[in-house]
Amino acid sequence: MASIESKDIHKIIVACDAGMGSSVMLAGQLRKALKGTDIVVTHIPVNSIPADADVVLCHAGLAARARASAPGTVLIPFQIFIGDPAVTGLISTIKNGGTVHD
Amino acid sequence: MTTDYTPAVQGTGVKATIQRLGGHLAGMIMPNIGAFIAWGLITALFIPTGWLPNEQLAELVGPMITFLLPILIGYTGGRMVHGQRGAVVGAVATMGVIVGADVPMFLGAMIMGPLTALILKYVDAYTEERTRAGFEMLVDNFTAGIIGGAMAIAGVFAIGPVVEWLTARASEIVDWLIGQQLLPLVSLLIEPAKVLFLNNAINHGVLGPLGVAQAAETGKSILFMLESNPGPGLGLLLAYMLFGPRSLRPTTPAAIVIHFLGGIHEIYFPYVLMKPRLILAVIAGGASGVLTFLVTGAGLVATPSPGSIFAYLAVTPKGGWFGVLLGILVATAVSFAVAAVLLGFGRGEKAEDEPETPTEESTPVKSEA
Repeated sequence: MASIESKDIHKIIVACDAGMGSSVMLAGQLRKALKGTDIVVTHIPVNSIPADADVVLCHAGLAARARASAPGTVLIPFQIFIGDPAVTGLISTIKNGGTVHD
Repeated sequence: MTTDYTPAVQGTGVKATIQRLGGHLAGMIMPNIGAFIAWGLITALFIPTGWLPNEQLAELVGPMITFLLPILIGYTGGRMVHGQRGAVVGAVATMGVIVGADVPMFLGAMIMGPLTALILKYVDAYTEERTRAGFEMLVDNFTAGIIGGAMAIAGVFAIGPVVEWLTARASEIVDWLIGQQLLPLVSLLIEPAKVLFLNNAINHGVLGPLGVAQAAETGKSILFMLESNPGPGLGLLLAYMLFGPRSLRPTTPAAIVIHFLGGIHEIYFPYVLMKPRLILAVIAGGASGVLTFLVTGAGLVATPSPGSIFAYLAVTPKGGWFGVLLGILVATAVSFAVAAVLLGFGRGEKAEDEPETPTEESTPVKSEA
């Protein structure tokens, strides 16, 4: 169970299979939602999550691969691409302070 | 932070392994799709049967598919294994299989690129510890040069002919499936695999390379359309919009735009995964779409990627729009009809348990932001 304080989050990674489609879309949405913070949001293929990621977001269907590719990093799986509770929960935790854990 | 308002689809070991393997295949192709589309557009425009026949510009077609595209794949495959050095030797070795065979060497490039890079990776690990200070550049350049060159020679004599044989067998199987009118049955495999996030692996890892070989021969290929048809997903989302759980209905118009116009099919997978019986709808839609493509003799000149209606129209050959559009329309209608029946036309959905609804959750956040 990895966890991180919201103030320590500097880099959020959105991962998908190719790192070119759905992850780009969700990363764009997150970037908009987190405007005004200094958090960097990037998209990447799920097999190559960088070591400096603080929080990793990916669809639940790819969670096993994300876990293998970034062990020990906070991993937030989601189910749907628009308005998923896991994603909106992350945004509100970052804005209001608190601990993010997977 | 996991929620369980949809059935869990956490990867079993096997599924994740297949996904990862498929991801590697697709990962060699997908960064290069721009080049595939450039080739497809040049082909559609300038070949003798194209929109603007032009003998001089049509000379681009052959070298691009024979050399440029396989070398890009071999380069990318090598880079995935061993960075820039892997990419360089992957490209050199791919040249060997190209010269050693008479068909476009996509499969060969997907083998030679990573394999050669892997060999260099082991050699680098060996020499790194044994190289004296000041000799690093000399050693690095010559190990890469020797391994790349040796693998290119191996490609000409050994690997190229073997891969050519394999490619020919794979094409025969595809031709047989088309000849026996069995192609619609592949939807039984493709649609379920697709929603398990094997979509890129299937389309770009398997069907794309076979399709390009076919398109180079006959000017178009139906193989590009087996996985990428946006119709089945569109029909499913339309059924959700009208008959789905009330809490989900407001999310579907945006999903339809992203799916059908933007071409990001991943957006509809969760709608299947949360009600797995709806897989029947996309299978039926996919199969009837393929049947329509088959009957009308439809095909595309390059991979429509992403699977958006705009990408489809852009890579449809001259005069081929009827079959292509009809196939998408039929797939949409069939998928919609089956999904509507499976959703009971919206009756009785109130009784269903919806512990958490994405729309209610997202509203307060939007107002905060």
